Amino acid sequence: MIDDRQEELASLHAFDLLEGAEREQFVAELSTNPELRALVAELRAVASGMAHTAPLSEPPEELRARVLASAAARRSAAEPVAFPPALAPRFPSWVPWLMAACLAAAAAWSQREVARSRDEVAALNAQERLAETALDQTRGQLSEAKRQLSESSRQVADLSAKLKDEGDLAHFKIATLASMLGNTPEALAVAVWDPSRQQGVLTVSKLPALASEKDYQLWVIDKQYPNPVNAGVFVVDPVTGEAHIVFKADKHVDSIAKFAVSLERKGGVPKAEGPIVLLSP
Amino acid sequence: MSFALPASQLPVAWTGWEASLGARGLLARMMPADETGSSDGRARAYAALLGRMANGDRDALAELYDSLSRPLYATARHILNDSAEAQDVVHDVFLSLWENASAFDLKRGAAFSWAVTLTRNRAIDRLRTRANRARLLGDSIPEDLGYGSESGGPGAGERAELGDRAVAVRSAIAELPAEQQRALELAFFSGMTQKEIAEKLCEPIGTIKARIRRGLIKLRDTLATRL
Repeated sequence: MIDDRQEELASLHAFDLLEGAEREQFVAELSTNPELRALVAELRAVASGMAHTAPLSEPPEELRARVLASAAARRSAAEPVAFPPALAPRFPSWVPWLMAACLAAAAAWSQREVARSRDEVAALNAQERLAETALDQTRGQLSEAKRQLSESSRQVADLSAKLKDEGDLAHFKIATLASMLGNTPEALAVAVWDPSRQQGVLTVSKLPALASEKDYQLWVIDKQYPNPVNAGVFVVDPVTGEAHIVFKADKHVDSIAKFAVSLERKGGVPKAEGPIVLLSP
Repeated sequence: MSFALPASQLPVAWTGWEASLGARGLLARMMPADETGSSDGRARAYAALLGRMANGDRDALAELYDSLSRPLYATARHILNDSAEAQDVVHDVFLSLWENASAFDLKRGAAFSWAVTLTRNRAIDRLRTRANRARLLGDSIPEDLGYGSESGGPGAGERAELGDRAVAVRSAIAELPAEQQRALELAFFSGMTQKEIAEKLCEPIGTIKARIRRGLIKLRDTLATRL
């Protein structure tokens, strides 16, 4: 039996309007209630019918050609592979001689291939040794990164101590940056900005590591400037998704309205282009 | 850990929820149908097209495009209010259908719902990215996104262009109280949260929840008698 509360939650879920704990609780309830699952499916179907209420709008002709051209360029996952035709059952009398000659040639070729394979194995062994060396170097870099992390943590502690000593929180801008991505809602960051030193500290957690051609870029928004001010790029630990950085803005900042983190090209950009990943209120 | 794609860029999951018989009947009824084809027949036809697409048949993709591109493009354009972006969304949706056609199973739901959900999610992702950027730069989201300006049933010209199914859906929505129509339109097309819808309509969030529930249930019941 579906009650009014369940019906309301199912209606909201059909439009993907449930969030946070309310959504988690409802999804958990769905897993144990087949009647509720059926209602959600039914309401989702009704909701998708809302597409018919959009004002009529004809897609341009060239879009069809564009879609079909893109599909032609991409192989469908299950697109069948063309197999070569079967061998003909009958062949001329000289064919066995030709096959014998081919076999002899193949034998000679195989011997040469065996020798070449030995050379390749030796080359692969050398590559393995090089890879082991690179691994050692990476371990060293990881160790250095951990040391820098420790240093950043110490700087955060120093700033916190300074806050405590001065007893003047009002001069510091402290903000929590929340995730703007639905798929990484747990990502979080805390930014502390000291206006007197024009320096801040950003601590990030649970942010996904990026591909090699991307960087996270920090921005500060000061209303005196028309565009967000660059505060540098950073990477996160690929295992923990954490980062601790000390940052400075490219321009003198009087009053920070917001902090933001965007996803940009490697090395950062002078003006924000990519999607916003974290944003302070 | 790697940087994951937004949820809308992944294939829509065919959960077991839509496998229930009760849902399948209505799922089929919500399919667009021409004046002669039955909804169940149309659902099977789309399933057959997706099956051919899974085997690499590009003619099947062309047929599916001809059948679904108009409502999908209209939906994306209404959400984004931008023709170029709507074209990008529809292009990506059909490529996604092409590449994931083998994952489709008619027993789990209708192709039309799958395609609409893909389109809506991708368009709303773009809308939210745009809104975030505007907010970051100090702009505000436009006060009026243009929804609700065409309340009422379809006009004679539009009726001629719509299939019977679409006309039935539009008429059923036009029969809802205006405040329920508005709540459903914002819930489907705006990409707003419950709280944002409540703020936009200057109503308590509980009122908005109730309007969405009553509107959707009434829409379901009305369509059940007509389709």
